[in-house]
Order: sequence, then structure tokens, then C-alpha cells
Amino acid sequence: MAILPCGIHFESYRRHMGYLRTRSQWIAFLLFVILLVILPQILSVRFIAMINMATMICIAVVGLQITTGYAGQINLGQSAFMGMGAFVCGSLAANFNLPFWITIPAGGLGGALLGAVFGIPALRIKGFYLAITTIAAQVIFPLMIMHMPNKWFGGAIGLHVPTARLGPITFNTDVSLYYFIMGTAGIMIFFAFNLVRCRVGRALIAVRDNDIAAEMTGINIFHYKTLAFAIGAGYAGVAGGLWAYYLRYVGADQFTLYSSVWYMGMLIVGGLGSIVGAIFGAFFIRALQEFITTLGPLLVRYMPQAAGSAEFWFASMNILLGGIIVLFLIYEPRGLYHRWNILKMSYRIWPFPYL
Amino acid sequence: MDVFFWVDLLQYTLDGALKGMLYAVIAIAFIVVYRAGRILNFAQGEVIIFMAYIIWSLHSVATLPVPAVILISLIMAALLGLATERGIFRPLIGQPIWAIVMVTIGLMILIQGVTQVVWGGRERPFPVLFPGGAVKLGPLLFTSSIFYGGLISLFIVSALALAFERTRWGLKLTAVAENHQVAQAMGISVKRSIAIAWMIGWGLSTFAAVVFFNGRVLTFAAATIGLHALPVVLLAGLESIGGALLAGIIVGVGESWAAAFLDPYTAGISSQIFPYVLMLIVLVIRPQGLFGWKIIERV
Repeated sequence: MAILPCGIHFESYRRHMGYLRTRSQWIAFLLFVILLVILPQILSVRFIAMINMATMICIAVVGLQITTGYAGQINLGQSAFMGMGAFVCGSLAANFNLPFWITIPAGGLGGALLGAVFGIPALRIKGFYLAITTIAAQVIFPLMIMHMPNKWFGGAIGLHVPTARLGPITFNTDVSLYYFIMGTAGIMIFFAFNLVRCRVGRALIAVRDNDIAAEMTGINIFHYKTLAFAIGAGYAGVAGGLWAYYLRYVGADQFTLYSSVWYMGMLIVGGLGSIVGAIFGAFFIRALQEFITTLGPLLVRYMPQAAGSAEFWFASMNILLGGIIVLFLIYEPRGLYHRWNILKMSYRIWPFPYL
Repeated sequence: MDVFFWVDLLQYTLDGALKGMLYAVIAIAFIVVYRAGRILNFAQGEVIIFMAYIIWSLHSVATLPVPAVILISLIMAALLGLATERGIFRPLIGQPIWAIVMVTIGLMILIQGVTQVVWGGRERPFPVLFPGGAVKLGPLLFTSSIFYGGLISLFIVSALALAFERTRWGLKLTAVAENHQVAQAMGISVKRSIAIAWMIGWGLSTFAAVVFFNGRVLTFAAATIGLHALPVVLLAGLESIGGALLAGIIVGVGESWAAAFLDPYTAGISSQIFPYVLMLIVLVIRPQGLFGWKIIERV
């Protein structure tokens, strides 16, 4: 718990444990919500599309934060779990015409099941070994999807998904989908915030810190490790469900190891072990990626003689991106969230340099 | 069950075993680096591609003779290995495991970018460094690159396994693998050992590039070979060099059998998922792999 300004005391445990504890925090929070609501009126559709993409990925990364950041189980298969959610959701919507409030939770459940299955080895396997068994999920998943009957998941062609509808509203534009995605993300993040400080969350943290010691204190580590994978993968599944409704097309080649690796990268850049960190990381890396994919072609257009080709710029951007990750880990391994906390602290204790 | 079946079976088995040798070489590149510094180098596939492009440049652009190409590329590999260790991994000593995983992934993206910038991301015909054609042994027929490559890999892998068990130099590296503090206390330079491990890792990658790409088309997509070797690494156990040889043969032969006997019925997926499924089963039964070290934890 961060320090508070002078003269603020809490009379009950409930209030002390709250996330929003002072009036100014409430005001800031409400302003933030209002900002989110009116954002589509301020920004162009292109930015809204970027935010939609980042928000969906953010949900998957928050899930990964629960598996990896809180329960300490390395997971390099998050993208496969997201794909599972997308395919379950897409298949239910396309084949049975079910409404989104059934298909998206079903997608989450599908992701959670797959995650739980691949989480079972975590009972005996740790560290790098576990990282690679989750890579196995990533390798097996597309092959599995492609060889299911075409009727179920579309096989090699992929799956076309109808638009999400709620009564008279059809979610088919970027702006309407923005509210759809933001709403879901809000619910998921709210759950995540509360999950990590209830009994389950504390048990997960105990497992992360030392699983043998956790078992000694009466925590059933098989249960909690599997649960950690199931919850994390469930988040990915929900993100996948949104993905299906957003892109309206699901294919096995959208969920690669490469994106799993990026989710892990977002987590580390944001900071392990905090939900806010996951959100920071997802948005920061997405912004960087968007910036790079926009900048490359622009440079080619305005400096055709200096620049070789779009390919060349794209590749140099890769160097920049890889370089940023490496430098980040060498100089700030605790992530952006740590920086943010330092910033908040120095604002609170200003004008003193330290407490 | 006529004689042709047995000839076919033998052919598949030997093909698989020779291919398994290549997996074993890549697996050992992983294992040597892991033993030294507890770093699993996810950028291994990219390292192989990078070295393959360097070999291509030396052979096709600089038109050097084959022995010079191999010698120069090995020296460059050693230097680059040293540079990776000094520049990237030494500052990270003592960081938690995710930092290491992530930094190797950053390295992966970095090497991809560098390769694309320098060589322009086009496909290149890789030079034929082994004698071309096919090798005939009685009724059996082998592609020459796989045959010679497999034999040379077998030699290198066994030589390394022996060196790590028998020579003073190899035992120093093994001591570092077991425990950094104890090794340091015994007067072994841990830093130098890690640097040597990285040089061996890059050197083995160069060799894997020669064997794997000989006479083929060189593309970026081939970097997945690094991931294909991962089941071999885990099957063997992350610490065992001799085990990688056996695990390579098991995976190679199993893959080859699955491709020959199961793939016609499963639309080609069984040979692709076989290594991973085998790895998962073995790991659930023996979490340290077939030959890995069982580390007892104290709480």
C-alpha cells in the first residue's frame, strides 16, 4: 500500500483495503471513466481501432499476469489459449447463432479448459521445463484445430463469425465495438483486481514465492497451479471471444508462438506481479508496435532516396524493438509499474526528495 | 512381412537416426549454454539462420574455398558468442528466470532484424559444402548431406560428451554447471566458463547451419528448427550432453516412423506432434527428463 497524505485515517478494515480510498482518488477514477466513455468522440476511428486491439490484448495479458505474475508459472502458450476461446466462441456464434453473452463466456471456458490441461504438468515441472511444455500447447493447438472436422472450427480455411447483437444494437463499427470491448475489459479487470487479494490470490502468491513451503502451510498446490492456468487461460479465452467478434474471422494462423512471446514481453515491460503493470505493458508495447508499423512506410514515402525499401525499415524497427526489450531488462527489470510508483511517490512527498 | 518391409523399416530408422543427430547438435548448443549460466537461449534458431547467412556470404559473395569458409565462420561464431555473453547476459547475472527468458526473446527479435537489414530478407541458395548426390549402402539409399552431416554430428557430439566427462577443461565447465559458488571457491573462473559455453553454443549452431542447409534454400522461416530441437533438449534433460545424443536418436527415429506409418492415416500431423507428446509424457513421469540432474530443493 502506497503512503497517503497526512491526516487520512480509516476506521474500518474495509475502507483501509479499498483501492479507491480518498475523495481525490474517486474523482480521478470518475474522470478516467468519463474520458474512456467520450474517447470515440475525440479521437479518429483509426486510433479507436488501435485502442480496441490493445484492449483485447490487454485482457489476455492480465490473464497472463495471474498465471505468471501472481502464481509464478511461466506460460508461453497464452496465444493458443486465446485462439481456443476465439474458435469456441466463433464456432458457437456461426453454427448455432447463439448471442454473445453466451458465446464469450463459453469461449472463456474453452480457453480455461485447454489451459487447465496444459497446466497439469506444472505440478511436477518448473521453470524452463514448464515454459517449453506450454510452447508444446502452442505447437499442438493449430494442428489440432486444422484437423478437426471442417464443420466445427472451419479447418484450414478459418471461421467467419456473425456480428454481435444486443437487442436493437449491432456491434459492427469500430466505435460500437469500442464500447463492447471496453465494457468486457472493465468487468474482467475488476474481477482480476479482486481475485488477487482474496484467498485464491493469496494462495497463488504463496505458490509463486515457494511452492514447497506453500504446500507445507496447507495449500493444495495441484489445485492452485491448475486453477492459475485455468483462470489465466480463461482471460485469454474471453479476449479470444472478443477477437472473434472484432475481426469477424478466426484462423489458426492468427494465434502464433510469436504473439505469445509478445504477451510475455508486455508483462515484463509492464512489471510482474501487478494488474496495473499488465495493463501498462500491453498498452505501451502495442503503442510502440503501432508507432513502428506506421513510421516505417512513412519514412519510405518521404525519404525515398535515403531509405532502401519498406522491408529495410521494417527490419530496422525490429532491431529497435528487440533492443528496447533487452535494454529494459538490463536497466529496469522491475518494469514500468515500478517507475510509475516511483513517480507517484515523489509527487506525494514533494518537495522532499525521499521519505 | 516380406523382406522389403524390413529394408524399408531399416531405411526409415537410419534416416530418422541421422536426422536425430542434427537435433542432437542443436540440443547440445542449448544444453551447453544452459549448463553454464542457467540460460535457455530461445534465440537458438535465429543464431543458426544468422550463421547460415554469414556462411552464404563467405561462400557466394566472397567466393572463398570451403575450408576457409568453415574456419572463418567458426571464428566469427566464437567472437559473436563472446559478444552476446559480455554485452547482454553478463549484466543480467542474478536476475530472475523471466528476465532471462525475455532477454533471449529480445535477442531473437534483434537477430531477426539484423539479418533482415544486412541480407534483405530474400531467399538464398545455400552452398553445397558436402559432396552431392546420394550415398548407397547395399539396398539403402541416403541423401549425402544427411548421411555425412549425421556422421560428423555423431562424431562431434560424442567428442563433446567425452570432453565434458573426461578432460580437465570439460570438468571445469561441468563444475560450473553444478554450482557457481562452489566452482568459484575451487578456483574455476565462472565468468570465463560461461563465455566459453556461449562460444561453443554459437560454434555448434554454425555447424548445425552447415548440416541443415547444405544444398537447400535458406529462408527465415527455417528458424523454427530451433523450436523443433526443444523436445529433444527436455527429453534428454537440460543438463545432460550424452543424453542429448540418445534423445536425438529417439525423437528422430520416432518422428521418422510416425511419418512413415501413422501420417497416411492422420493427414500428416502425427510426425509433427510426436516429439511434443513424447516430451510431455516423459516430463510428467520424470520431471528432470531422461538424463537431467535431479535437484533436491531445500525450503
